[in-house]
Amino acid sequence: MNVLEIRGLTKKFGNFIAVDNMSLTIGEGEIFGFLGANGAGKSTTINMISSLLRPTSGEIKILDKDIAKMSRFAKLNLGIVPQDLAIYEDMTAYENVSFFGGLYGLRGAELKARTEEALEFVGLADKVKGYPKNFSGGMKRRLNIACALAHKPKLIIMDEPTVGIDPQSRNYILNSVRKLNEDGCTIIYTSHYMEEVEEICSRIAIVDHGKIIAEGTKEQLTATITDVKDIRIEVKSLVEVAEDQLRLIPGVRTVKLDDHEPVIRIHSDAAVDNLNRILKQLMDSGAEIRAVEEQEPNLETVFLTLTGRNLRD
Amino acid sequence: MRNILTIAVKEIKQDFRDVRTLVFMLAFPLVLMLILGLALSNAFTNSVSLGEMKVLVKNSSSGVLSTAFETFTGEMKKSGIEFVSLKSGMNGVEEIRQNHYASYMELSDSGISLYGNNRSAIEGNVIQGMLQAFTDKYNAAAAVAKIEPAKVSQLFDTDSQSRSGYIKETSILANRQPGSMDYYALAMSVMVGLWGAMSAVRLIRSEITRGTAPRLAAAPVRRSEVFAGKVLGSIVQNFLCVLIVVLVSKFAFGAYWGEHLWLALLLLLTEVVMAVSLGLGVSYLFKGNASSGLIMLFVQLASFFGGAYFPVGDASGSSVTSYITRMSPIYWTNRALLEMVYKPSVSAAWPAISLNIGLAVLLLAVSAVLMRRKEGF
Repeated sequence: MNVLEIRGLTKKFGNFIAVDNMSLTIGEGEIFGFLGANGAGKSTTINMISSLLRPTSGEIKILDKDIAKMSRFAKLNLGIVPQDLAIYEDMTAYENVSFFGGLYGLRGAELKARTEEALEFVGLADKVKGYPKNFSGGMKRRLNIACALAHKPKLIIMDEPTVGIDPQSRNYILNSVRKLNEDGCTIIYTSHYMEEVEEICSRIAIVDHGKIIAEGTKEQLTATITDVKDIRIEVKSLVEVAEDQLRLIPGVRTVKLDDHEPVIRIHSDAAVDNLNRILKQLMDSGAEIRAVEEQEPNLETVFLTLTGRNLRD
Repeated sequence: MRNILTIAVKEIKQDFRDVRTLVFMLAFPLVLMLILGLALSNAFTNSVSLGEMKVLVKNSSSGVLSTAFETFTGEMKKSGIEFVSLKSGMNGVEEIRQNHYASYMELSDSGISLYGNNRSAIEGNVIQGMLQAFTDKYNAAAAVAKIEPAKVSQLFDTDSQSRSGYIKETSILANRQPGSMDYYALAMSVMVGLWGAMSAVRLIRSEITRGTAPRLAAAPVRRSEVFAGKVLGSIVQNFLCVLIVVLVSKFAFGAYWGEHLWLALLLLLTEVVMAVSLGLGVSYLFKGNASSGLIMLFVQLASFFGGAYFPVGDASGSSVTSYITRMSPIYWTNRALLEMVYKPSVSAAWPAISLNIGLAVLLLAVSAVLMRRKEGF
């Protein structure tokens, strides 16, 4: 059974086409990565799946039921973890989860048990009476997830659930996603962190200009990239690196200087033997080379090759 | 229905946890009521206290007139008017000129002369009135004496005097009038009722700014239920604030709320319903902060022209000010309350209640239509 099925989905805002005739099928038990740069159309798609926006045309089915016709059934089986925190700062963690659980028809002892279970699941069992305004960013993110769990949905959409939090909380959330999946939940996961998607997603779709331009497992996607190579060059300092000169070398497609370490990442045509020219250019400009490595294409390479942009652009 | 109640309870809980707003909504009108009620107490008083009056008397009369006058002065003393005999060496007219006495009176067998004091005009008028009553009675007695002298004494009998009296109080303001505290208790309660518009204008938008709108949209709850729940919660919260202001004004400040408090509360409830509907309607008609600014301006103008800070008279004229005043919900609600409490006229409440409910239905209908057209919240 398909948990989510999208056929010919289109959303227009005036003349602007945010989602363009998109079709997609997600089966039971998948963790489906939904990748796209800002403005690619993934949030609009998620908003249509969660009924916040009405499609201009097309069809969305959850558990084989059209959400336009069986809205209540579809919603009862859907959990949303929005990118922006969707919690009430002036209500306790317990009240937040309980309120949203109540909207899904849970009452009395069942609501209490499910609320406690959801808070336990995200590691906030000892914070039931705490107010989110006093929580850390990671705790708020976990509460944001708990609010989507009390009604035990079959499909959970997680839109950037780890944005802006510490590595410890991120690991906790990623483990929670895996555990939810093991418990039988299908998950749609979007992130700006490519390594997260590579780590947990069983299947990935890359969205650009409102269309799915590639879809498959990580291995399937990287296998499509045979004409490019990734060169990683570590230097003593990036100050001497003449980025523009590197781009002029034949075969070089993109040059990216790392924000955190003195590393240059060059995306180049595989057929062009240009490594010597690249290294010579760096030495001529005064850069001190520490290490050079030619890497196998990864998901980032795939994304860059297909969209011409980095995921975080 | 359960979803509506769940959302309404959540709204009420959140509103009452917003301590700063709550303090503003309760403390501001109560403090203002106290300050204005005490500071402007004289402006609302219709009576003048005269205190004790002294009348200087030169009595050279004899016989019946002298006896009758003595009876008269004895009675007057009970009303706080003291008659002081002119001592030798004193000049009565000069004493009046020096403002030592309210009036100077000369009695002789040929008649009575009264000298008034311009600086004590009210007192002089009171004394003149009483003396007029006395002379009328004395003239009647003189007429009786000519026919039946034995019955003259009955006319000046003390017991019958006290029954008929020389002073009869007649008020041209028969109904009870509001004191300053009474007035501001009503006006502030009405003003707090209209403040419901200020919170309602953010009612739906707050879910968007908090980021909770997508989760509400994704839940198996109709938008109309979210709408109804939030409106209900806002009405209850705002009316509870009004109720607290009313009860504090009545029991702590001793303000008069008339014989039909429940009807007064019903009127205020309809005002709150109308105010919440107004805020909601404006939030759908105008985008973003414009709606908040517009409502804030409206509430301030409605309070100022509607009589929240100072009493406004009849606004039935054709001037611009009268027109603006008539447009203020505070004016029509406050006016209905005043008539209901002080006329007292229960029927005065119904036109205002009808107007409030009519406007609320209209504004809620407009909001509902605009909500249905809009995507999301």
